[in-house]
Amino acid sequence: MVTPFNELRERLLRAGIAPRHVRRYLKELADHLADLAAEEKSRGLNREEAESAALARLGSMDDLARAMIEQRQLQSWSFRAPWAAFGLAPLLGLAAAWFATLFILWSGWSLFLPGTVTPFGAGPLHGFANAYFQFGRMIYFFAPVFIGWGVALVAARQRLSVGWPALGLALLAWAGTAARVHAGRSALSGVANVGMSFSLGNSAGEIVHGLLRASVLLSLMVLPYLIWRLQRSFLRSTR
Amino acid sequence: MLPRETNPNFMNGVPELLILTLLAQREMYGYEIVQAIRSRTSAAIAVGEGVVYPVLHGLERDGALVSRRKAVGGRSRIYYSTTQFGVRRLAGLSESWIHLAEAIRGILKGGQYGHPVQ
Repeated sequence: MVTPFNELRERLLRAGIAPRHVRRYLKELADHLADLAAEEKSRGLNREEAESAALARLGSMDDLARAMIEQRQLQSWSFRAPWAAFGLAPLLGLAAAWFATLFILWSGWSLFLPGTVTPFGAGPLHGFANAYFQFGRMIYFFAPVFIGWGVALVAARQRLSVGWPALGLALLAWAGTAARVHAGRSALSGVANVGMSFSLGNSAGEIVHGLLRASVLLSLMVLPYLIWRLQRSFLRSTR
Repeated sequence: MLPRETNPNFMNGVPELLILTLLAQREMYGYEIVQAIRSRTSAAIAVGEGVVYPVLHGLERDGALVSRRKAVGGRSRIYYSTTQFGVRRLAGLSESWIHLAEAIRGILKGGQYGHPVQ
């Protein structure tokens, strides 16, 4: 039985209903519709009449949408607090990923390069030691992109307008471009220190270069979203 | 039979009361709930059957119901049942509705200042 719930799905998602509730609602409606059609058939209606009667009993799309939208507690967190979902949460995620990166750098330095002034360019590394540092470097470089994909995915799933997600992605692109890792030993105590700073550069040329890198990073983040949008447009046009 | 049209404002809270009452007796899935409401009210309360699900989701979100998937006849159904909080909520709702119904009946039958409805 063909279920006419695509329009309902779009309306609910645009109204901010959490995707998991939308998915379950549509599944329950489809099951209910099948039960109603079976009931109508058992009364002697043919298939088309039974499906038509079942749809009428289920309720109009307006009623079905309104009933769900009125349940405000079913709205998604990203709809109710987009500033937190697309501004704060991605930055906290990035901070956590980079904290892990710094920990890997500091611990790898202590384990595999004891006594060196800095872990950067401190001689050839092989085997596990090399893999350890490369893992940390991979997290450092790819964390903004992966988190950006997450932001775009949430925005796409919930059919959100571009404002807050775009701001979140721009912040991630800026952070991903402006971040600098520092590592060095204290001159007095010799204690190993690692840290980060944020700057696009000191000269106009560096800033322009930094902005170009941020644009590339932003493009990488929105690429899956753009592909998804194109795919949807294509599917709609071929329907 | 009463007309099947419903007044949404007047019906506010009625589906919740009926659903909690039915589920306090045994666990059910959506279609069963709607059939039970239809048969027990002699179809006096008729709404689009699909609108029962948002009420169920809302009650579950509030902690008044829990749900579980159960395979029946080769199909996966979502069964709902009341929690302790749901039972307490039902008791509160029932009390309010009984109080309200008595007050309305008092007005319709005529009281100290009223006149019986002809």
